[in-house]
Amino acid sequence: MTEAILSVRGLRKNYGGVPALQGVDFDVARGEVCGLIGPNGSGKSTLFDCCTGLQKSDAGSVLLKGVDITQWPMNRIAREGRLLRSFQKTVVFPTMNSEENLVLAGQMASFPGIASTFSIGAKSRARVKALRDRARELIEVSGLSRVAHLPAGNMSGGQQKLLQFASMLMPEPELVLLDEPLAGINPILIEKVIQCIVAANRDHGITFLVIEHNTDVLMNLSHRVIVLHQGQKLADDTPQAIVRNPQVVEAYLGG
Amino acid sequence: MAITLDTPHAPSPRLPAVRWGIAGTGLTALLLAPMVLDGYYLHALIIAMIFLLPAHGLNLILGYTGMLSLAQGVFFGIGAYASALLSTHFGTPFVLNLFAAAAIAALIALPLGIPALRLRSTSFVMCTLGFVVIAQMVAKNWVELTRGDMGLSGVARPKLGFGDSVIAITQIPQYFYLILAVALLATLAFVLLIKSPAGRCMVAIRDNETLAESLGIPTWSYKLIVFMLSAAFAGLGGSLYAHYETVVSPLVFQMYYSNTILIIVLGGGLGRVPGAIIGSFLFVAVTEALRVTPELRMILYGFVLLVLVFVFPQGLAPLFERITQWLSRIGGEQEKSQ
Repeated sequence: MTEAILSVRGLRKNYGGVPALQGVDFDVARGEVCGLIGPNGSGKSTLFDCCTGLQKSDAGSVLLKGVDITQWPMNRIAREGRLLRSFQKTVVFPTMNSEENLVLAGQMASFPGIASTFSIGAKSRARVKALRDRARELIEVSGLSRVAHLPAGNMSGGQQKLLQFASMLMPEPELVLLDEPLAGINPILIEKVIQCIVAANRDHGITFLVIEHNTDVLMNLSHRVIVLHQGQKLADDTPQAIVRNPQVVEAYLGG
Repeated sequence: MAITLDTPHAPSPRLPAVRWGIAGTGLTALLLAPMVLDGYYLHALIIAMIFLLPAHGLNLILGYTGMLSLAQGVFFGIGAYASALLSTHFGTPFVLNLFAAAAIAALIALPLGIPALRLRSTSFVMCTLGFVVIAQMVAKNWVELTRGDMGLSGVARPKLGFGDSVIAITQIPQYFYLILAVALLATLAFVLLIKSPAGRCMVAIRDNETLAESLGIPTWSYKLIVFMLSAAFAGLGGSLYAHYETVVSPLVFQMYYSNTILIIVLGGGLGRVPGAIIGSFLFVAVTEALRVTPELRMILYGFVLLVLVFVFPQGLAPLFERITQWLSRIGGEQEKSQ
């Protein structure tokens, strides 16, 4: 296996005595698309929350490119770790239009610090202009041009999903965690999102870890699949092996 | 083509021109005001412009960053006391006091903001309410510094200029132009602030703090900076107030001041630049207009607020924006038909 971009070691998390993660270990290799499946309540989203700093784990560690980021705040993991995530319930900034959403998403990666974001000098304007150009490009590619002037909150669920995905690409991340990117969108848009993931992975070398209940699509998309069950890793293998694994079939996939 | 006010189409290209036109007209009217209006009305306008400063601060923290702070009145009072103390003890000049008041308010906001901003939504509001109560107590009881209920009097009237060419501000029209200049500069600073990339971060925090954080924005740091900046705006207002009234008493820490600032921003329209401006002039105007019926004044004031909330739940700024859009469209249509 090539270099691990993300390594999770012995990760544990309890919610009021109920274990959500019971010592999970796995690696994600740089450049791969890795699927993460498991029944509802198996700890997938909690795992994302602990990896991105939204929740603090009770034990264990998360290494990003070999650096322990377990105690880092969420914003630092995103900014310095170049690890981004999407949320299960699609979220965009509802009062901003698509372009503003995208410029904002790329902003912290383009500015050297907080103080520089208060500047409206030539350097700052040039940075924002570069972000705007890239945002327009992504709007075009995502097919959002027609609704780009609307506040994102007024766009349809599917359009918001595309916008959220485009936002993930703005700061040129190294690793993106997608939480159910295909939930609640129509088949045409599903195709579009998949194309976007494949293209980002192939052309920009972005590594993906994807939670998705649409297993047919996920098995096609992923190079490798990890299965979580009751807060523990049940299997970690190629998609072909996973669909034939009797434990996985019993716990999740069904007969 | 039918013109609807709510048309979802991209705004008319003439919109910026219409906006500048309205702003220019308003400014010209203000510049001419001392030539037409007598002292009493000028006084009302001065009070409106003074309150515009803490209102800009509240608009920044509430309208753009989404946190309701009731402590704007506290920082207004701190600015007033800071200027009054500097002026009466050290005889420092007005311009220095003005900047010092803003800086002191921001510096005091730092240790208050660090614990307060750990709290979210209603807990944060309660915490800022606590600051109001504490500030009142300190102003009343730290007698050696504040002279308690007696307050500080004899704050020097502003003097501007260097060397021999010093203008002493003593007349109401002079105060009017001085405060107009400060209010204009503060409004300009406010606009630059919200147009900066940091302004976009503020809106992101207001819209969805977790999402902003997940995109690498250090939301807590931004909130602390915004809290300090909003205090600085309030401090500027307080300083102007002290140098205009020439007396400062613990009454500046009354809840009434924080309430008025809140009403100005909510009534004018949150998260919009014209909101606080419309709000400050309108609410001071309403308060002053209601002086004709002293016994019914507060009841009518409450009534006006109720009507506003029901008729314009988003404040008056959206109405203003519709008017500007409508003006830009009729202009455009006329050009087309010619």
